[in-house]
Amino acid sequence: MTTTTAPPTRPTDGARIEVRNLTKRFGTFTAVDNLSFTVEPGRITGFLGPNGAGKTTTLRMLLGLVNPSSGAATIGGQDYHDITQPMSVVGSALEATNFHPGRTGRDHLRVLADTAGVGAPRVDEMLELVGIPAAARKRAGGYSMGMRQRLGLAAAMLGDPQVLILDEPANGLDPEGIRWLRGFLRHLSTQGKTILISSHMLQEVEQTVDDVVIISNGRLVKQGAMADLHGAPRALVRTTDHDALAGALRVADVTSTVEGDAIMVDTNDLRLIGDVALRAGLPIYELHRAMTDLEDVFFELTEGTNRNLGEGVTGVTGVTGVTGQGAATERDAIAGQEGGNE
Amino acid sequence: MTNAIKAEFRKFFTTRMWWGLAIAMFVAGAGLAVLFGFLFTQPQSAADAARGIPTGTPEQIANSVYTGGLQVGYLLTLVIGIMQIGSEYRHKTITSTFLGTPKRARVMGAKVVALLGIGAIYGLISLAGSIIAGAIVLSARGFEAFPTAGVFRTLALGLLVLGLWALIGLGAGILIPNQVAALLISVGVAWIIEPIAGVLLGLWDWGHDHIVPYLPTQASAAMVNGVTQGGDNAIQPLSWWAGALVLAAYAAVLAGFGSWRTVRSDIS
Repeated sequence: MTTTTAPPTRPTDGARIEVRNLTKRFGTFTAVDNLSFTVEPGRITGFLGPNGAGKTTTLRMLLGLVNPSSGAATIGGQDYHDITQPMSVVGSALEATNFHPGRTGRDHLRVLADTAGVGAPRVDEMLELVGIPAAARKRAGGYSMGMRQRLGLAAAMLGDPQVLILDEPANGLDPEGIRWLRGFLRHLSTQGKTILISSHMLQEVEQTVDDVVIISNGRLVKQGAMADLHGAPRALVRTTDHDALAGALRVADVTSTVEGDAIMVDTNDLRLIGDVALRAGLPIYELHRAMTDLEDVFFELTEGTNRNLGEGVTGVTGVTGVTGQGAATERDAIAGQEGGNE
Repeated sequence: MTNAIKAEFRKFFTTRMWWGLAIAMFVAGAGLAVLFGFLFTQPQSAADAARGIPTGTPEQIANSVYTGGLQVGYLLTLVIGIMQIGSEYRHKTITSTFLGTPKRARVMGAKVVALLGIGAIYGLISLAGSIIAGAIVLSARGFEAFPTAGVFRTLALGLLVLGLWALIGLGAGILIPNQVAALLISVGVAWIIEPIAGVLLGLWDWGHDHIVPYLPTQASAAMVNGVTQGGDNAIQPLSWWAGALVLAAYAAVLAGFGSWRTVRSDIS
């Protein structure tokens, strides 16, 4: 196992993904609209947006499958078409359904291995790595979604690439599979690989990614570190007299606001809050860190005139908008539990 | 390019279709060789020939017997050609194919080479059936099994016919995006529409002389120089090399146009 290594010192190490003013029009419909972003080596970058935001089209342009209307996308400074042995530079898994149902998973990989110029031992090694060595000898028609995802990942890894591009890799994985994927990607990123994963759910990749690129309606709405999305640290407290606690906290130089039947404190130092409450003689019924709800952040960033409304593909954002306050409270509690476990 | 060709062969031989078709090839080759072996060795008179019953020299008879399964055979390689590209679109494996080899012209080139090879392999399977069965029948009927060296040329050209029809399939598979439709339309055209068109065009003097011999089926038949129909209205077949050129032209135009389309299109 490689211990934590610093990201490559030279960012031009042949592994940075650059998207410059990329635009794709299908007739009058602009799927991707003047999109620019960069993906750095040694980090896991989440490529996020609601369904139909243009994620897949962007990835397909990056991988030379769809011709851009204008702009350019390069990997390590090269257009995908110009990479001599692409599978040893970029590994990609675009859709978990791209298998011939009559061919075994192993044979599917062997076809790709021929293309990549690697042999059967590497194929078996990769099947071992993703944990499906035996199942891959059956025909792919009967595979579960999780199997397909793992097979796609094995395919992407065949050429031992520096860059991994995965479209919705967590889709169809069970919780155990998602945890496994997270560890797998984390391990790869510590090796200095560039990893770009797309998802239509921010929470799904929240614990996996270092950076985010969020798009909506084909346009960039945010690029930055995942940590920045959370905003300032806060904690939620419930006690008998919220105003009394707010006063006590003010003495300790901590600001807070009463929100409904709880008080939101502008710190995540739970011990300090507990001590202040004890000195004030106030009982604590609930105390946890309150992360800014990422789903709300995501919705705020990507909402607006969703061009796909009416097609029934609004997915997560639509649900958030409808369920409102009750669901948000529930999520706060969950986020708080996670914070408390740290 | 070598890697891409290897991948194309592996794609073909890793689904169950290949051995099913191989059995069909062998059985069709052997069965039709037996059938034609009896038919064409019946005693014939000049009157029979004038009535349009197929006749020929001993070489042509041998050719016809050995290539009796060819019509079924090239239909099967036509299907193979369609599937080699059609199933990639149908099951979306074309995505990983182009990810592995982003220079798409190279992929299409590899498919062309692989299909010519697959055509030849199936040709050998078909010929194995037809030569074993046909030689026995011909000998039993008192005919020489291999009367001239020309028979061997026919056998070799039979392999080429199968390969070229696979390329026609490749083109059809691209130009008709729905695989099932591509199969139905192509087989329908090759086996039903084209023969009917041949008959109808044959009623028209100019068409009879200048179009019908150039139809793919007629060109294929000309290549293997089998027995010919007698009578006044018989189609005058092209010479074997002209037939080969004509069929190669069909294959080149269809596979070429299809490849050109594939290289330019968005894969989504």
